[in-house]
Amino acid sequence: MVSPAFEAEALASLNSLYRAALRLTRVPADAEDLVQETYLKAFRAADQFEPGTNLRAWLFTILHNTARNRARDRARDTVSIDSEIVDRAADAPPPAGRSIGAGETPESLLLRETLAPDLQAAIDDLPEQFRQAVWLRDVEEFSYAEIASMLSIPAGTVMSRISRGRHLLFEKLKALRPANA
Amino acid sequence: MLNCASLDSLVTPYVDGELTDADRRAVDQHLRVCPPCYTRVAAERAVHELVGVRRDGLCRGAAPTALRQRCSDIARNATAEAAQHRIDSSKFQRAIHDSHRIPNPESRIPIPRRVAPLALAASLVIVVGGAFVYQATDKSARVLAAELVADHAKCFAMNAALGTHQRAAVVEQSMAASFDWRMHLPADPEQAGLELVGARPCLYGEGKIAHIMYKHEGHPVSVFMLPNTARAQELVEVLGHEAAIWCANNRTFVVVAREPRREVEQIASFVQASLH
Repeated sequence: MVSPAFEAEALASLNSLYRAALRLTRVPADAEDLVQETYLKAFRAADQFEPGTNLRAWLFTILHNTARNRARDRARDTVSIDSEIVDRAADAPPPAGRSIGAGETPESLLLRETLAPDLQAAIDDLPEQFRQAVWLRDVEEFSYAEIASMLSIPAGTVMSRISRGRHLLFEKLKALRPANA
Repeated sequence: MLNCASLDSLVTPYVDGELTDADRRAVDQHLRVCPPCYTRVAAERAVHELVGVRRDGLCRGAAPTALRQRCSDIARNATAEAAQHRIDSSKFQRAIHDSHRIPNPESRIPIPRRVAPLALAASLVIVVGGAFVYQATDKSARVLAAELVADHAKCFAMNAALGTHQRAAVVEQSMAASFDWRMHLPADPEQAGLELVGARPCLYGEGKIAHIMYKHEGHPVSVFMLPNTARAQELVEVLGHEAAIWCANNRTFVVVAREPRREVEQIASFVQASLH
């Protein structure tokens, strides 16, 4: 059953769903198609939504599932990427340590001047798995469990992808500021 | 006391403030005595905080107006449908209940068989190749119709966005190439008030459904063909659309349009009369 509240809240998520679709497809026409299919599925299955849970997270889950199914349909034409290999590839050793005092860290000072366009470019440049995980957590602010459901991976993997994604981003952004490094 | 390896799984929830007090204290204690881990945590926290600060800048870019309109239409249709169910729930429940026993008299209005002009009668032929088995033969006509209406709306929205206008030969070639289906579209559909829009390979139903789109006096009309299925002839109203369903030669055809019932009956009769 579709209530007016469900409809209003679902449509209020349109912009963030569209941005998520753009991140997944990188092609505006495909992103629009993906969002539209997401809404069709959501309204068809509205009675499966549990009131009191996060509707936006539920819509994101449908969006990601739909995108995954489409990717699977096209898989015969593309080389699939083993997510574990990608995960391991980023498993670089942590940077060399040094002693740090309290308050602001050199790391936060280093990144402080980074503006949104540079940050956006660095995020866009991340491997897919880490890009999604970092974005869903730090921009969309979903819980680990919600992201696990969206990406269809265990919560532990969500956390390790967020962690690796953030470290990759740190290294990329640090490289933009050689004078301070 | 934590060691560096056991810190791994705690770093991200620590940065995100998701740890229990006890775990957080244990991490704090380790970081005080382990500069490498402190640096690692500081880097992750710096990125987390930076993204948080720049969040608004990252979230620029709204959905296109046309997409918003289409999604509103989807929502409005679904809400109207729900409202109709609430008002009419007893009849709806009865229809579901009866669907397993006797035909629901209101959903089984026979489609009048009109004789189409001879020039049109033999012109639309869809030949099914392959041996697809459509999995949803036991679905109710209402569910089938609702799903096809959704695809109808989606495909037309897509084609409007893409400005699709395919010639009959292109549609015939694409059906033959994509599905190994040979079909011949009417040479003069405008005599029946129809204008060809194009065809899409429909992903619904495991991607094994032919979907040919027309406009009838400017309004979208879909002709779906489901191979290897048989079901009763019905005219169903769902999601503000009329869906005329019939079966011929073990193929199910569904005409979907948001047109008055009699118009849909006429279009269905034309297509039905053309499929011999």
